Amino acid sequence: MILRFEGVTYHYPGINTPALDCLDLSVYPGECLLIAGTSGSGKSTFCRASIGLIPHFYHGELNGKILVDGLDTRQHSVFELFRHAGLVFQNPDAQLFNQTVEAELVYGLESLGMEPSQIESRLAWASRLTKLDALTDRLPHTLSGGEKQRVALGAILTLQPQLLILDEPFTHLDPEAAETLRSILRAMKSEGITTIIVEHRLHEIIQDVDRLILFHGGKKVAEGPPRQVLLEDVTDVGLNLPPLFRLFKDFGIQTAVFDIHEAIEKLKVQSLLNPFYDHLIGQFKNLPKASKEGMHPAVEIQNLHFNFDGKPVLRGINLYLRKGESVALLGRNGAGKTTLIKHLNGLIKPQKGWVRIFGNDTSRKPVSELSRRVGLVWQNPNDQIFRSTVRKEVLTGSKIFNAYDPLWCDELFDRFGLLPYLDRSPFALSEGEKKRVAFASALSLKPDLLILDEPTAGQDEPFRRELTSCLRRLEQEGQTILFVTHDLEFAAEHADRWLILADGEIIADGPPNKVMEDSTAMTKAGLRPTHHFQLFQAIKRLKENGT
Amino acid sequence: MKRSLLDPRSKLILSFVAMVLLMTFSYWAFLAISLGILILFVSQLRLWQNWLLFLKGLGFAVLSFFLIAWLAFDLPTGVISGLRLLTIGTVFFLFFQTTPPELLSNGLIKIGFPNAFAFVLSASMQFVPVLIRRARNIRDAQRARGIPIEGGIKSIIYLPAFVGPLLIQSFKFADELAEAMEARGFGLSGRRFRYEPHLRWIDWTVIAGSFILLITALLIKYAY
Repeated sequence: MILRFEGVTYHYPGINTPALDCLDLSVYPGECLLIAGTSGSGKSTFCRASIGLIPHFYHGELNGKILVDGLDTRQHSVFELFRHAGLVFQNPDAQLFNQTVEAELVYGLESLGMEPSQIESRLAWASRLTKLDALTDRLPHTLSGGEKQRVALGAILTLQPQLLILDEPFTHLDPEAAETLRSILRAMKSEGITTIIVEHRLHEIIQDVDRLILFHGGKKVAEGPPRQVLLEDVTDVGLNLPPLFRLFKDFGIQTAVFDIHEAIEKLKVQSLLNPFYDHLIGQFKNLPKASKEGMHPAVEIQNLHFNFDGKPVLRGINLYLRKGESVALLGRNGAGKTTLIKHLNGLIKPQKGWVRIFGNDTSRKPVSELSRRVGLVWQNPNDQIFRSTVRKEVLTGSKIFNAYDPLWCDELFDRFGLLPYLDRSPFALSEGEKKRVAFASALSLKPDLLILDEPTAGQDEPFRRELTSCLRRLEQEGQTILFVTHDLEFAAEHADRWLILADGEIIADGPPNKVMEDSTAMTKAGLRPTHHFQLFQAIKRLKENGT
Repeated sequence: MKRSLLDPRSKLILSFVAMVLLMTFSYWAFLAISLGILILFVSQLRLWQNWLLFLKGLGFAVLSFFLIAWLAFDLPTGVISGLRLLTIGTVFFLFFQTTPPELLSNGLIKIGFPNAFAFVLSASMQFVPVLIRRARNIRDAQRARGIPIEGGIKSIIYLPAFVGPLLIQSFKFADELAEAMEARGFGLSGRRFRYEPHLRWIDWTVIAGSFILLITALLIKYAY
């Protein structure tokens, strides 16, 4: 047994609710485990406890016993345990502390006082496995999010621990980087490395794991082979179910399917291809709403160019967004999406070409004036929180602009479930709650255009559901929405129109289905059609072939 | 980054001696010749572009030194002050351009400096870009809400809007970093380096030469 939790209960200092509550769990050699649960379910605490950071780094009250490769974590320091169990943390930026990728990879081995020849062979093995051969001389802070994640993984792999734990490794990755990470995890599995992946985006990895464990309120509430666990009643756990599983469930078939081929076989066996096809058509959000609501422009961009450090980031962008449209901006990390949205409220002024927001040329208007009409909700709500109470935080913008509307703000507090927190410090809220504060804050000014930057990244299913209902309401109210996301399932659910940005150019623009049909653009942007669309296409092909 | 033939420790001693000499001798000709020699190194190492970028930053300080010393004393003092700052700056420019921070850090640990001290030195260079990126994100997030933090009197009132999130994120980052370092054996005794710093004959020659030069120069200056 590699890891054993025996009746483990843990309280963080000064907190009455246990982060782990009577947890019993065993991990066996060569296993690949997926641990899922909502934010605050105890996943990260489990990770910390598994490598001895609890109780050696985090004090608090620990009861029960944790054995890592037979070593009691209470009696052995983190320095002893890190040879046996390695953890890849959530934030790759905060675990890369050397000057080059190579130095990062060998740091742990140097700490262990290994012979240079051994260091060389482990370095070669880990950089091959994590596909880092071409990056070894690079400065870590110049890498993309996916590359940083691989370096963090490689830095732990070089130690060849008996157990490797990854805490939400897919959170900040674009689809292509996620696919690369999946292939690395498969290679690790084939090498017999015992792995625990902690993740709430189940569909990213569920097909490749041997066992699924669900956490809720610090307790283990379900455990077993993934298909078996998902078929149990796990509604209360707040899981982000795999898309195909969800589609089948919505259709009324309770079966665990994870890939298209499997789904087709199930439908064929049950002679349900035709009704399922109709069900899929009914679910497509395909009609461009703007055509119904008028042609007034919200955003007009003409021949927009932007260079940074001499390199082109945006190259001749032409774009026209109508009032009332809900648009998703897609593309891999570094494609220029953030640069483009920063042009929409004047944070960046066009170097060439022009941008007009509701008829106003952004190069002639200060950000403060444009921000009155353009609300931006950033990926990280911690970038903006600074007031002493939630109420003050939400009302900051409207007070600055003397645009405080008490009725509207009260409605926002209610809509975002913030009423119980109004007099609490926003710093004390969970990440999902902070995100709701950021939303309410952006909407308090009643912006004409709402821009959301990666609204679902790192968020669990309950927040996703809240976000979905909030966006539906805003869409019904005719709000113009532009969101940047890697979450294609979410984009398909909420956007009438998709824009794909690749290498600073818009290479596809249209309704989601039309864009997903454009395989050249999708491939160029490192995107794969949603499971929904893939299944639809697969059934369509079968129907056309008369199968 | 250009890697030099010398061990970081011998380079550190050489740079230290150079700095003492440049501080000790106030002759414009000596400073000008020293600068000429340093520029030859810059040219030899093909570091022109970086040096010019470095001068963009240092230029204002050099000019200020020159003007203040000129106005406070006389023109020769102004020239010497400006030249001295430029020369010392170039010495350290060459040192950092040819010494990767991890080698410097490894060298310091070998000399006997504590791990934490060596880490702080290299980390200060490593994390500056990360913190700048965070600061930029915070500034953009607040400006996008209409908070005037770009300048003027109002920006002082709203300083907490920038400083608050930056401080909180920095503390959180420091915590996360400490966890990650602990989990990779930071501070563990018995550490060995992949590129074990070795003092070779050339390093010993440089160290001996540096001390001989320093002692001779100080004797000339103070004993005669």
